[in-house]
Amino acid sequence: MRKNVIYLLARQLCTDAIRSKVMGIASILMVFLLSFSVYSGWENYHDQNNTRDAIQGEVQESWENNPDKHPHRMAHYGSFAIRIKHILSVFDLGMENFVGNAVFLEAHKQNTVNFSEASMSTGLLRFGEVSLAMLLKVIVPLLIFYLGFATIARERENGTLKLLIGQGITRREIVFGKWLGLWSLSLLFLFTVFIVLLFFVVIESHDVMQAESPFRYSILLVSYILFFGILSAITILVSAFSKTAKGALVKLLGIWLLFVIIVPKSLQAIGYYLYPTPSKIEMETAVEHDLIKQGDSHNPDDPHFKAIKDSVLLANNVEKVADLPFNYGGFIMAKGEALSTKVYLEHQEKLYDVYSKQNNLERYSAFVNPYTAIKNLSTALSGTDFKSFLHFKGKAEAYRFKLAQEMNRLQMDLIPNKGKAGPNTISRDYWKKFPPFEYNFLSTTKVFKNEIISILALFLWGVLGVLGLLRLSTNLKAI
Amino acid sequence: MYKLLFKSFFRTKIFLVSLVLLITVGTVSILIGKQYLVKQEKTIVAAQEFQKESVKRILKYNDKDIGLLLYYLKFTLVKKPANISAISIGQSDVNPLLQAVTIRGLEGQKYDTDFENPSLLMSGNLDLGFVIIYLFPLVLIAMTFNLYSEEKELGTWRILAAQTSKKGKFLFNKLIVRILFVFAIFVFLMFLASGILQIPMNQNFWAIFFHSLLYLLFWSALCLFTVSLLKNSSFNALALISIWVVLTILFPAVVNNYVINKYQVPEALDAMVEQRDGYHEKWDLEKNATMTGFYEAYPQFNNYPVPEDRFSWIWYYGMQHMGDLAAKETSAEMMEKIILRNTISEKVALFVPTMHAQLSFNNLAGTDMVSHLSFLKALTQFHEQLRLDFYPRIFDRKPANSVNWEKHDTKFYIAEYNFSWIYLMLPTFFITIVITFFGLFNLRKL
Repeated sequence: MRKNVIYLLARQLCTDAIRSKVMGIASILMVFLLSFSVYSGWENYHDQNNTRDAIQGEVQESWENNPDKHPHRMAHYGSFAIRIKHILSVFDLGMENFVGNAVFLEAHKQNTVNFSEASMSTGLLRFGEVSLAMLLKVIVPLLIFYLGFATIARERENGTLKLLIGQGITRREIVFGKWLGLWSLSLLFLFTVFIVLLFFVVIESHDVMQAESPFRYSILLVSYILFFGILSAITILVSAFSKTAKGALVKLLGIWLLFVIIVPKSLQAIGYYLYPTPSKIEMETAVEHDLIKQGDSHNPDDPHFKAIKDSVLLANNVEKVADLPFNYGGFIMAKGEALSTKVYLEHQEKLYDVYSKQNNLERYSAFVNPYTAIKNLSTALSGTDFKSFLHFKGKAEAYRFKLAQEMNRLQMDLIPNKGKAGPNTISRDYWKKFPPFEYNFLSTTKVFKNEIISILALFLWGVLGVLGLLRLSTNLKAI
Repeated sequence: MYKLLFKSFFRTKIFLVSLVLLITVGTVSILIGKQYLVKQEKTIVAAQEFQKESVKRILKYNDKDIGLLLYYLKFTLVKKPANISAISIGQSDVNPLLQAVTIRGLEGQKYDTDFENPSLLMSGNLDLGFVIIYLFPLVLIAMTFNLYSEEKELGTWRILAAQTSKKGKFLFNKLIVRILFVFAIFVFLMFLASGILQIPMNQNFWAIFFHSLLYLLFWSALCLFTVSLLKNSSFNALALISIWVVLTILFPAVVNNYVINKYQVPEALDAMVEQRDGYHEKWDLEKNATMTGFYEAYPQFNNYPVPEDRFSWIWYYGMQHMGDLAAKETSAEMMEKIILRNTISEKVALFVPTMHAQLSFNNLAGTDMVSHLSFLKALTQFHEQLRLDFYPRIFDRKPANSVNWEKHDTKFYIAEYNFSWIYLMLPTFFITIVITFFGLFNLRKL
């Protein structure tokens, strides 16, 4: 293989393509879409995070400004956890608008994360959303196919392929030259997007929370470069194995429709069909059922709670709960909270297992559909996948539990038992001592672990692409 | 002549592929709709059982204090599902089917969501509406893009041209054959859906039916127009797929992004905090701070005394209601914004048949935003009715068995549908006529 010949062929393909009408229209469209997605992506990120930051601050302020009161009232006063957007959500919206944004954290109860953008949107949301990643995942692949379908097929139709070979250019040089040319062309779009994105990553780099975003950015860049390489290889292969350029185009369009639109959606739907999930009311009934089996806190003669009471009385060597050295109400609520949280989380875990099963069908299809691989990897790295949301939800629930138990502890330690003398409230200083809700994004190492399948699939596709091209280099038909 | 055209069409590969594809995916989409209906039914049964069980259980230990009893008790309002919603699931997977609420503050309970896999929400439901809006046009494109160019490229056009003087009419008839085939599959699928999903053939069903036909005619017109330009196959395929991408993906997505950004709803989060603080701060204030507002809202309870020195239920439920009142204004603003989002989207959609079809389907199936908002409104009334029923009993400290609990089972809200045929059909009809006119005009020159 002679490098300069490959470069020459690649450059030829690029210049031809850049002069073509398709490229002209495509560029105008891309410039418009790029500007629009940058504008809307940034505005959304910036405005939403500002609002959310402000509200999270207000929530903390009002928490601290509560006067002296009974700690259990504070447990009901509770707090809110508001989800903060990752800077890379400017790039890939992923599930961002389909998951909730705020959750009320109070004692005894796991509330749902509410106010997703989807719950406040019209049916238009289902057409999809424009983001920088959407351009790279959906539109640019189509452009690569448009620009590349004719590369080898038309040269063969015109007879120029025979001429090239006749002039002593090897088949391998032709194949790899064309591939390199098409790939470079696609990188033109890729780099434009990533240069714009770099700007945002740099702006937000002062934020400790976003500290890992430059690293995530580089991985994204590498993944997309690889993805485009794979697509270019597919284009060249289809073009080479088709009799006519028209045939190649129809095949490529079919591949695009199948891989980008039809297969992912169908697999997701089939996953949903195969693994039904309970509705909220069904799960809550089940949770309540399990809880009552262990001990019904509403029942004054419940054996479970009676046993606890007896053992506590025995351990402290007293006759009545009023004589205990700590507040019995706080103690029993702490026990109840621990129990109900455990049961709830078990059921929730089961629900998420079903979700994973539903999603796995599509997730594993990455081995036959490179689009799925890049889609999952891209949303995960942008902090807009389901796992990132669960991470937030987990943190919020942990904070809720900590808050409720801290208030129970304060009640146990500082509030006298019924019938005993002493204050029924505690100082507001205790509210200030309780740290505010702080959220950190999922660590990038975790993201890699979650997306190991997508990475593996993308890598395998890369190998497959090169192998395909090598094979083509030996049996490319000149006529 | 039609007989021959049909015959030759039936021999093509694309005919078989389209037939298999549309029938399979169409049937799958109907089954998915069926599953959606089954899930809804299961949920409703579960809700009804939950309601009965929880009343029984809570009543057992709290029959002494009706105020405390009603602190725990939940009452369920269900949006009665219509079977037609399985054709266009729309936003009904994001928005909950039912809401179980206590008579405490509503604002904190109203927006609770149901559980749904967000990956599914994101990829959207594969319902019959999707098949009609996305796949049918693709099949039309696949069958017609080389209507003329193929004959030209294979060299058969010249033979044909020598034999007939009405070349334009020939092409047009060829197109009609394909359109009729697509229509036949569509009609089959609609009746299949109506059978499997037990959709009554009422006005809404026919509205979806005829709007879909019109929508398919719109795409046929686009194909006709492209063919009439007499370009080569590659150009046609490229052009039609590009139009498809713009109309079904790019344009609606751009409009949606624009609407979401332009009308952001920070009020949602504000109202949530206002409600909590509006209620909780009352604990630390004079009883008057609560009661003045409460008596103002409900003067009929003016004569119930509120003890200054200790807890009373009238004060407690008064405080709860104050939370709702504190958030009332912001909450109303939030609703207005959401309605605005809807109105703008609908207006833009009038010019874009794909968007118009999607929004109309959702509207006709009762799965759109507006339908959910009216459910929330009904929920607010339901909640107020419950409170007004229970308040006097709580304040009079009536015994728990003075209430006929059997009567408080799960209640249903039946959505009202209204639509106008003109609004539904005219925009797409007009666009279709214009495109067809230009297409036929081009063919005349042939």
